[in-house]
Amino acid sequence: MAREKIFKGIAVSGGIAQGTIFIYETKKVEVFQTPILSVYLKDETERFHSAIGKTEQDLLNIKQRINQEIGGNFAEFLDAQILMLNDKELLQMVRKKIFEEKKNAEYVYHKVISDYAKKLGESKDQYLRERVADIWDVATRVLRNLLGLTHSSIVDVPKDSIITAHDISPSEAALINPKTVLGIATEAGGRTSHTAITARALEIPAVLGIKELMEKIENGESVILDGDRGILIKNPSSGRVHSYKITIRKDRELAKELSPYCEMPSRTKDGRHIDISANIEFFSEYTHAKKYGAGGIGLFRTEFLYLTRRGNPTEEEQFRVYNALAQRMKPLPVIIRTYDLGGDKIFSEYHEANPFLGWRAIRVSLDEPDFFKMQLRAILRASVNKNVKIMFPMISTFEEIKRTNIIFEKTKKELRAKKIAFDDDIQVGIMVETPSAALLSPHLSQQVDFFSIGSNDLTQYTLAVDRGNEKISQLFDHFHPAVLQLIHSVIDTGHGAHIWVGLCGELAADPIAIPLLIGFGVDELSMNPASIPRAKMVLRSITITECEKIAQEALCFRTALEVKKYLRRAIHKNFPGIEKVIK
Amino acid sequence: MLKEKITIMNENGLHALPASRFVKQASKFSCNVLITKGDIEVNGKSIMGILTLACEKGSKVILACDGPDEKKAMGALRKILEGND
Repeated sequence: MAREKIFKGIAVSGGIAQGTIFIYETKKVEVFQTPILSVYLKDETERFHSAIGKTEQDLLNIKQRINQEIGGNFAEFLDAQILMLNDKELLQMVRKKIFEEKKNAEYVYHKVISDYAKKLGESKDQYLRERVADIWDVATRVLRNLLGLTHSSIVDVPKDSIITAHDISPSEAALINPKTVLGIATEAGGRTSHTAITARALEIPAVLGIKELMEKIENGESVILDGDRGILIKNPSSGRVHSYKITIRKDRELAKELSPYCEMPSRTKDGRHIDISANIEFFSEYTHAKKYGAGGIGLFRTEFLYLTRRGNPTEEEQFRVYNALAQRMKPLPVIIRTYDLGGDKIFSEYHEANPFLGWRAIRVSLDEPDFFKMQLRAILRASVNKNVKIMFPMISTFEEIKRTNIIFEKTKKELRAKKIAFDDDIQVGIMVETPSAALLSPHLSQQVDFFSIGSNDLTQYTLAVDRGNEKISQLFDHFHPAVLQLIHSVIDTGHGAHIWVGLCGELAADPIAIPLLIGFGVDELSMNPASIPRAKMVLRSITITECEKIAQEALCFRTALEVKKYLRRAIHKNFPGIEKVIK
Repeated sequence: MLKEKITIMNENGLHALPASRFVKQASKFSCNVLITKGDIEVNGKSIMGILTLACEKGSKVILACDGPDEKKAMGALRKILEGND
């Protein structure tokens, strides 16, 4: 029996999974289905054959290199791969199906290969099952040549997998299938990377930032992934497996205990209503929001529309998503945030040394007004549902919100001229996520209908800590007194200007932070949907009077640690009922 | 057409490497080559077909060669299946 080994990383998405390592090496290809007009079918088969020819050349080149560098009969597997590539039956079937189904070669070829791979994968013989890897190896080369790209996909993952990779890009993370993937472990990334966000969205555990993981783990190894403690356990002992079974059971019991809160009103024990809404990333997640009893969508991130498509979606495509979301959530509000994209995601030739301080979010939108207006039109059109609000990311100067509002008003005017309907009373808000926006909030509040404090970025920018850098991620702490002072003052300023103030970072879901934020007077907390029942439970156990006292005192400390210690003590003294949901 | 019942004697079964030798050899002949195992029949010149037959050592198959050079083909291919090539 192999020895148990524990790897430490950053806990980014809670829960525990027992599964099998699946090493993801970013080499598979996504295949899209496109109809082909009859007149072009012959061209399509020719395109297919030239991809086969090119792939054969690629394989021969690799074989030659292996023969030179390694020698022996090591390259023999490539002979088998070349036979697989040129398999006449297979090629004929693909040709025939292109004509029959009138679909693109990628799609047809992929389908035919999948059938073969499936048959082999079902074999009792391990040697044969391993050939599936060869088949995909070849097929991926062909598909890549067909598509003329080196992109990869994460769709085809065996059941009960713990996906293990150096890193997973956002558009790949978006394709993770929670039916087969039980958890995620990577070398790169941190609490707020896209992989982390996706894992939480899919409600699967994830541990990121595990150093040198890929050197120490192999495909098919049995592991336990503990997303609460941030560890990956290879070859767990039977005692370990047993104790985890108990933990899993307890978690389920707590979830069960909290589940009635989904349905309950979100108000404090002394009766103040606080909006508890959901942060979502994909349209389909509105079902999570509803399931957990969200009072609305507090943040709909639109980046994924862009990233999963690898290009700007048309106005129509965007409108369909925004409109469908607004319709499904009606009458609950939906806050749509415009693209929070880095320039490098939009213009492949664009690179910069420091993207977090660079050309991103509203800065890109303002520099590319046509691109920006397309999104504004789509959001405005969806606002006919009367429950849509719009929010702009990463405002750091007064001019930015002025210019944004000018473009927004101009877009409205153009729609009116074309007699296209939208909600005239649509609320406009900004993310307060830079220290400059927080400090300028008295002026910014005159320009908008609401503030939403993005506590993740606000923390990062205030503390000058790159949250994705594993070496310093321990410096990233929302409870840092400097961050709390900014949050407190933004809420105060907003209320002074008679606008509402929400908070949509991870702080909103932290049971220790909720009494503090309520004490500061926050009007809305927006969080990952699964955290909502717990937040409601906390909210319903606390009183405004006590929270205000706690908040006042919490502002007097010098360090994040002191703040947290104090909050735990205060909760123990005033609201012991919520201690069981604090980890 | 020639037909023969053969027991796979190759140590690893008719897997990737013997299978590729088989396919390469079969492709040199102009006759049709068919392998049948149970009720599945595959083209002996298709590696994908042969792999999906999943022939381990000891499996019994029917090898059929049909065409002008069927006799030569049968002799050469039988050897591979029996592990004597």
